[in-house]
Formats: sequence, C-alpha cells, structure tokens
Amino acid sequence: MKLSRRASLASVTVTIAIIESVSTLAALAGANHSAAPQWSVEVKEVDAADVNIAPDFKVAIYENLLEELVKGKRFSAVLRSGDQRAKDIPGLVILKTTVESYTPGSETKRAVTTVAGATKLKVRSQLCTLEGKVVFERVVDGNVRFFGGNLRATHNLAHNVANALKQASGLRVGRERPAGQGS
Amino acid sequence: MCCLTTLVYLSASLMSQDRDQAQAPSSRPVVRATAILGFEGIATNANGELSIEDDTVIFRTGKGLIARIPISSIQKVCFSEGDKQVGGTPTAMGRAAVPFGGGRVIGLFAHKKYDFLTLEYLDSNGGFHGAICQLNKGQRQVLGNELETKGVHVSALTADTAKRSSVETKNEVK
Repeated sequence: MKLSRRASLASVTVTIAIIESVSTLAALAGANHSAAPQWSVEVKEVDAADVNIAPDFKVAIYENLLEELVKGKRFSAVLRSGDQRAKDIPGLVILKTTVESYTPGSETKRAVTTVAGATKLKVRSQLCTLEGKVVFERVVDGNVRFFGGNLRATHNLAHNVANALKQASGLRVGRERPAGQGS
Repeated sequence: MCCLTTLVYLSASLMSQDRDQAQAPSSRPVVRATAILGFEGIATNANGELSIEDDTVIFRTGKGLIARIPISSIQKVCFSEGDKQVGGTPTAMGRAAVPFGGGRVIGLFAHKKYDFLTLEYLDSNGGFHGAICQLNKGQRQVLGNELETKGVHVSALTADTAKRSSVETKNEVK
C-alpha cells in the first residue's frame, strides 16, 4: 500500500517536472519569437549597372522588395530610398540591389512552347552599414518559366531576397560568401 | 406678344447652351488602365481609369478608390510595350487542359499587345516610389503628350527597342 502511494507520488512529481520544463521551453521560444527586430532598413533604388533592363522591371523589383521586407517583419522599419526620416532612425542598414543579368522572356513563347521564353533575373543584394561596410551579400535570382506574366520574375526575386535576408541571423558583421539562390 | 415670345425663346435657348457647356465633357485625357503595382491604396491588377487633372495624375478604380500623384513630384515617366496572354489564370488552366497540344495553338493567338506606363516619383518625405500601369495599345500617346505639356520628361521605348528587348539576349556584367 505504502509502496504504491510512493510510486504514485513519484509519478506525479515527474509529471509536474516534465510539464514545468515544457512550459519554460515554450515561454523561452515565445520570448525569442516575439523579440522586436532591432534593425531598420532603407531600400535603395535598383542599380541597373551595365545591364539593359526595362524601366518597369527596375521599378517592380524595388516595389516588390519593399513589400516583401514589410511582410517578412525582419526589420523594425522599412524605408524608401531618399526618405528623410532615415537619419533619425537608429540601427539603420542600407539594402543595395545591383542587377547582374537580365534575360527578357515572352509570355506567348512560354504558352506555346513551354520550354522557351523564360524571364530570368539575377541581382546582387548587399546590406551595408551607414559607414559603407558590407554586412551581408548574396547573389539571388528570380525566374518565370511556365505560368505568369514577365513581371512575376520581379516578385519571385524579391521573395528570394527577403528569404536570404531572413537567414542573415543577427546581421553579424562580416562578409558572407555569395551564393546562388534558385527559385 | 410676338416679341415677348421671341425673347423667351432666345433666353431659353441661351440657358440651355449654358447648361450644355457646363455639362460638356472636359478635354482632359481619361484612359482605361490596370494598376500593375505601386499605386498607394490600390490593389495590384486593379482596373480603373487613369487621368490627368490639373497638376495631378489620378488613378480611379471602379470601386471609387483613388490614388493621386502630383505632377511636380514625378521624376521620370517611361512608356514601354509588351504583349500578354489574355484571360489570366483561368484561361491558362483551360489551355493546359486542352488535349493534343490544342492549348498551345490557343496560346499562339490568345495574346494582346499593351503599353506600359512607368512613373517614378517622390513622396512628401522624399521617399522614392515607382508605379506601373498597363494601358491599351495606342493610349500612351494621349497621356504622353499631356504629361509633356505639363513639363514632365517622358522617355518612350520605340517599337524597335521593344522588339529588340523581346529577343532573348542575355546581358551579363563581366
């Protein structure tokens, strides 16, 4: 009788301990998740470099980047290029986007042949401090191969850039090795 | 009595002329357009009307939503042209379901040329904005002329340039 009571007490103690540890872990995870992002970003205009890219693509990349960065909640504030409020915001980093290659596609060709007519975009994304130090750098691409209009490539590209920035945990200082990102 | 009748008739006709003038449609260009992206408060791919009123470019949707861009804030206007498949996703799915490659044949004919208007402008904080609008082919001339008379620099891709851009040439920075 005594033995069974001890056993039940021990099992209750073990259960309580397990529940406590699980709840502590959950609380920690929640605290980690709800921690406010400490960085703000100013998205600079897209630099076409020497690439002959259509103006609507440049604008679409820029606007889609802003939208994806706001959606991703990785930064406490997302500012547009030239925004005068930027100078008052602490912890500001600058996102520079340079077009590396652009292959104009054709929606009709995609519809007719399936294999031809893909729109391909490749950009170099750099996160810089105000002093100009590069803290994160990636080469990211965005393509449309089957369905959708040509401008959808810019949406895919912006999505990939936002995903790449999510991986830049803590925005640690130091140059990362550029790596391709397929869509 | 005859004079009085004539006077009444004349005054009535004058009044109706005034009313006609008041109701006469303005000569300001209004074109059907689709807001692809970048218009504040307007959903992407929303259909509506694009017009230039006084010193403002206005996009008005059918639901009454309005986006205004002051002409003084516009940095650059660019027109380009391109072709798109008509019918959107439902038609694309339908084409895919047609057997024996029939969908490809439909795709060959189910496309239409459009003009695209790209506006680059600054907001009140100096932030850079871009907006893209899709117009029916041939409508860019109307808007382009109006914007040029307002002193905006309009650059347009010629048909040759557009054709060249549709050729798949890969530009790479070495």
